[in-house]
Amino acid sequence: MPLATAVWTQTDRMPSAPVQAAERARALDRFLRGIERRALRIAELSTHHREDALELVQDAMLAFSRSYADKPEDEWTPLFHRVLDSRILDFHRRNQVRRRWRVWFGRSADDNEEDPLEQVADPSDPGPMLRMADGQTRAALDAALRALPLRQRQTFLLRIWEGLDVAQTAAAMGCSEGSVKTHLSRALSALRPRLEDLR
Amino acid sequence: MNERKQTPEPGDPTASDARWTDAACRLLDESADDLDAATLSRLNRARQAAIEAGRTRRASVWAWPALFAAAATCALALLVWPAAQAPLDSTPDSVIAAGDLDLLAADADLALYEDLEFYAWLDTQQSADG
Repeated sequence: MPLATAVWTQTDRMPSAPVQAAERARALDRFLRGIERRALRIAELSTHHREDALELVQDAMLAFSRSYADKPEDEWTPLFHRVLDSRILDFHRRNQVRRRWRVWFGRSADDNEEDPLEQVADPSDPGPMLRMADGQTRAALDAALRALPLRQRQTFLLRIWEGLDVAQTAAAMGCSEGSVKTHLSRALSALRPRLEDLR
Repeated sequence: MNERKQTPEPGDPTASDARWTDAACRLLDESADDLDAATLSRLNRARQAAIEAGRTRRASVWAWPALFAAAATCALALLVWPAAQAPLDSTPDSVIAAGDLDLLAADADLALYEDLEFYAWLDTQQSADG
């Protein structure tokens, strides 16, 4: 085939830039639609407030769309969680600084916030799943997950719930694969006594 | 959602953990599916804003090179245009050239012009004598 004809045929088959942009937007919509609810739940388990969680997810969506939407689609899930995870970490750092300032100025550290002690697992709890009705089981699961340290909770949610592999989880959390394994092992050890009756 | 882990890794849940971790995943899935309408609406708006932001960014990525190319073309045109116009202008060289052309085209004898100084001197001598 003459070169000119070959080039013409190839160019003829290539979608134009507006078509490519529209396809990309549709793919991004599908991806975000598929991940947004779980992202909100992950953020909510870390922030304890839906409003804060919504803001984090909104920020994460915007940042992801601006910075990573041009990447291959099979990389989107760990990249999105990388953005969300960094937003969650920032949120916790800001809260810590705020709490310190309140302590320095002699005010109650958490007038409107939850007591950190509430996040510590109660060792005398005999196993809430045994005596909880279906509606309460979810709340008990939330409480068990919230009681975990942040990195352990993130590892459990990304590795077990989101189904990311070790490398993807490490990329999403910005840590080594060894750290992922350690965090997951500790998270399972902490959750097992509280959730092993879950069916 | 990604397919949940296929290959067990060190530190992964054991077989005995599988029952409660699967149940935990099911409960988390249910909690994500049961979000209220107001929350879903907020998520929808956030998603649309994110898609629009991505579209605008991609458009601006293409706009900058196009703007630069347009500016470069204008600059080039401004440089080339006066240069192209220059030969038509009346520069001193062209005036001289035009004067030479008149001289060559004139019917008068060229020798007269060559000896113009001699004729001027002769004229002054005759005036002095006369």
